[in-house]
Amino acid sequence: MDVLVTFVRTNPRGKAQRDQRRVAGPVLIVGRGSKSQIHLQDARVALNHARITVAEDGATLEAIEGAIEVNGRPVDSARLAVGDVVEIGPYLITIEPQPTGLLLALAVSASEQSPPGGNIVRRVLMRTPRLSKRRLSYLAFLGIILLCLVVPLAAGFLGGSTPAEPGSAREMLREIVPVVAGNFAQSWNPGPVSRGHQVFGKDCRSCHQFAFLQVRDSACVSCHQALKEHVPRTELTGARGVTFATTRCAECHRDHKGMQMAPRAQELCADCHVDVKNAAPAAQSANVTDFVEDHPAFRVSLLDASHPNAIRRVRQATPATAEMVERSNLKFNHALHLDPNGIRDPEERRTVMDCADCHQPEARGGRLIEPVTMEKHCQRCHSLAFEPKVTTRQVPHGSEQAVMTVLREFYARLVLGDVPPGVVPPPDLQRMRPGAEIDYQERQQALRIADERAQRVLRELYETRDVCSTCHYVTREPAGYKVAPVRVAHTWMPQALFTHAKHATERCSTCHDVTRSKKATDVAMPTVEKCRECHVGARAVIGKVTSDCATCHKFHAGSENWHAALQPATKKGKK
Amino acid sequence: MQQHQSILGYKGGRYLRVALLFCVAAIAAYAWHEPPTVYLKPYGGTWLGYTLGGIGAAMILWLMLLGVRKRRYRNAVGSLQGWTSAHVYLGTSLIVIVSLHCAFEFGWNIHTLAYALTVAVVVSGFFGVYAYLHYPELMTKNAGNETLETLLMKVADLDHKCRRIALDLPDDINAIVGSASRAVAREMTQTGSLTLRPVLKPAACPTLAACNALKTIGRTLTGEQAKLNEHLLTEMTRKRGLTDRIRSDLRFRALLQLWLYFHVPLAFALLAALIAHVVAVFYYW
Repeated sequence: MDVLVTFVRTNPRGKAQRDQRRVAGPVLIVGRGSKSQIHLQDARVALNHARITVAEDGATLEAIEGAIEVNGRPVDSARLAVGDVVEIGPYLITIEPQPTGLLLALAVSASEQSPPGGNIVRRVLMRTPRLSKRRLSYLAFLGIILLCLVVPLAAGFLGGSTPAEPGSAREMLREIVPVVAGNFAQSWNPGPVSRGHQVFGKDCRSCHQFAFLQVRDSACVSCHQALKEHVPRTELTGARGVTFATTRCAECHRDHKGMQMAPRAQELCADCHVDVKNAAPAAQSANVTDFVEDHPAFRVSLLDASHPNAIRRVRQATPATAEMVERSNLKFNHALHLDPNGIRDPEERRTVMDCADCHQPEARGGRLIEPVTMEKHCQRCHSLAFEPKVTTRQVPHGSEQAVMTVLREFYARLVLGDVPPGVVPPPDLQRMRPGAEIDYQERQQALRIADERAQRVLRELYETRDVCSTCHYVTREPAGYKVAPVRVAHTWMPQALFTHAKHATERCSTCHDVTRSKKATDVAMPTVEKCRECHVGARAVIGKVTSDCATCHKFHAGSENWHAALQPATKKGKK
Repeated sequence: MQQHQSILGYKGGRYLRVALLFCVAAIAAYAWHEPPTVYLKPYGGTWLGYTLGGIGAAMILWLMLLGVRKRRYRNAVGSLQGWTSAHVYLGTSLIVIVSLHCAFEFGWNIHTLAYALTVAVVVSGFFGVYAYLHYPELMTKNAGNETLETLLMKVADLDHKCRRIALDLPDDINAIVGSASRAVAREMTQTGSLTLRPVLKPAACPTLAACNALKTIGRTLTGEQAKLNEHLLTEMTRKRGLTDRIRSDLRFRALLQLWLYFHVPLAFALLAALIAHVVAVFYYW
């Protein structure tokens, strides 16, 4: 069952060279695999391309994995006859007349038409794109380094060094380049600058004075000169205190985080105030971490009229301590004035008064209440008239000296017979006849009479009549009568940012209960419990006003200057 | 011999577990960390922010080293497959790390540019993983027993044969076969900018057009010429089948390359943005 296979090759001189071998049948595999009986070494031939089966009655050809053509026709299988030409890939297999004893003879030759296909193959397989990844990568890397690193860095150093000719290209460049560079420099900005710092625009160096160094306090203080320290640094001790004393401004005040850069978080306050003496041994405040949780009772700043420079800070308590009295040297009865049935007025009618008759918010801002003054608030009822029949004349308020002068002049004029229009002289006053010529003796006599009358009225005003002593404490001293000096607190809780303006919708009596107060020494400041009726701490509660430390307190308030805040803007006021 | 294993399943997903551990640890730290009350919210400038940023930057540098490692054939530090597996998983976890680093704060600036580039590189990498897992299989299916080389050689053979057959046929048929042959050669060898051409613009097959034309003309032919034309049509149809497969193969090859044209340059852009980001942060500290 052998088959004669002849491999026809063309030698270098162009002559056909026949290489014959006998292959054992009856089945021959044609393929590029080395185990094939007819081994065709070409990539275009399949591993097991086709099968030739030899039998007594002839040979058949079947395609296995590859395509075959017999006599130029593509077929799946065919019976082979002498003279048939089978095409497999680039090879031609010709069926030759078989020698005796053999069933089949084949000649395998390379197809003459086989073209030099390598060219296109090489071009396809070796092609490379025009734009390489590497080049793109360099481009992207250098582009970003240039625009986002070099230009922003350079923007800091740009700026006129030597003046350029006006109108020259160099000058234009000098103007345009920093603008463009500045815009690229903005790409470094991590977030919007706070409102107050927007004035610096693109000038990063206003705050960032040194490259690769954190913003220093000196940069802040160069503008914020009047800023007060929370506590003098010398008073701070302990780890917490030292940390506080060495904290940079920028550690609390972070910019580039939106419009606000003042931190409100009360945990910051609680860091020290949870145990304030530990950080500042001289501290007088009580420990606190949250308004609703543990805010201590308020301390009311009280004055002492007899000791002008003394301020007592008295903590509220129930019942109030003996110290909780205002020593203003005034006498005043709120209950009487606010009697719901009214109080007798000069016309002998009863007038119902309310708080606003005497207490008006400050004209500017409405934070505090305007001081009460004799002239504006008291004198309409509390007349300082000294002569019962003379309603148009009153002694001046505020100066003992001036009172005496007015009295002496008034009576001297009457005694000397000069009665001002509208004045009815008292009938018991001895007077000169108008128009009479008087000598020196008579004049002295008249003045003595006037002085005596003035002294008598003065004594009555200060001592017997309810005029001065209605509100004041009066003492008689060798030099004359003396009204005890009056000082009324204007700001009762100077460390609080309380403003009446924001509480204008509330009634006064919501916070200040004076309806039963009969003495001017009573203090009617609201307690922390009163505030908590509306305000809660930092943790929100529905129906209540969330209030952290910064709601009522200022961090940079400083402690050195709050004394001045206690004094009213106007001079001394009197109830 | 060890069975083929995808980079995703390398060593039973060892690096998937590493990456998950990374993410979980980072998220847990983020949740646990209480930023200083000054900032009110998490921020890249807290100690955790700097730590996450440092880890992120180190990861970016290491991930980019894959480009170096894969060219070092003698390198013994781990197998390239392991590197790639880790590259994929740790690269994915990078999104978690950098998102936590920036605390989801974004703006039109170099810092967010670095973030956006990170995300872009990782997302382009996702397509790369998809391509590497998906296209080789399709390519094998498409090629069958052939390779691109044998397909091309066969097309060249058929081309030659068709031209030879066409010589015995009228001029117009000759012209059709000739131009189709040139068009195919041109299509296969053209090098457009990038390798996008076969992906974005699959050309209408010139051989198919030629086959249709041959059919039309064939109706006017008789006798021997009609038979010859039919033979030509058969060969041309075979050629069309082969060119279609070549086209698909080239398309897959292009897709396997294409994502790298985004992945690699974007990664270098990211490296630049990262440098600018770090300098910017500390220059104006």
